[in-house]
Amino acid sequence: MSLGVLAAAIAVGLGALGAGIGNGLIVSRTIEGIARQPELRPVLQTTMFIGVALVEALPIIGVVFSFIYLGR
Amino acid sequence: MDHFRAMRLRHVKYILYLLAIYTLGFGWTPYKTAFLSLILGTSIGLLIIWNLSWKIEKFGQAVTARKKVRTLGTLTRFSLAALAAVIAWAYPRYFAPVPTIVGLMTSYLVIVIDFLFHKWKHDKPHESEVNDDGA
Repeated sequence: MSLGVLAAAIAVGLGALGAGIGNGLIVSRTIEGIARQPELRPVLQTTMFIGVALVEALPIIGVVFSFIYLGR
Repeated sequence: MDHFRAMRLRHVKYILYLLAIYTLGFGWTPYKTAFLSLILGTSIGLLIIWNLSWKIEKFGQAVTARKKVRTLGTLTRFSLAALAAVIAWAYPRYFAPVPTIVGLMTSYLVIVIDFLFHKWKHDKPHESEVNDDGA
């Protein structure tokens, strides 16, 4: 196994770890918000959507870079 | 239509406009590889944000109904991004990696720009409010 494969695996793994922690924080706060005020669901969903999208952008770049690096 | 669905349809609309522009670029300019890669990346980016918004809609409904949600589909979205990278890597004659990544990130740019634009539009004080203050 070359070091390149290990580097790609670490990049994807650490990216996924960050995304997991970030998503967990966002989802827990959204559940709290919807449970307190169900009528605010669309607004909270919008905030959650933007938050999750921004959190997942960086790991997605990591996945793509890893695959492109492995393919070189 | 609620706030969230309206936002989702707006994002899809803007991305389809961008895809139409890229298609024109592919058809009418000599930069075929770049535009084809942008089309690939943006199409998969559209799939990614469609999947995300669909999962969040289901999540909101499940929380209101006090049901369980198993996943938010993060692995599906990572796999879609990997699929774009693999396609770009497998067919280097037709696709280039950098425009594919730019295309993938276009959907996130659309989300951020739309959010900032709407925040600016709704935070702006109305003219009648300004006049009520005697200004």
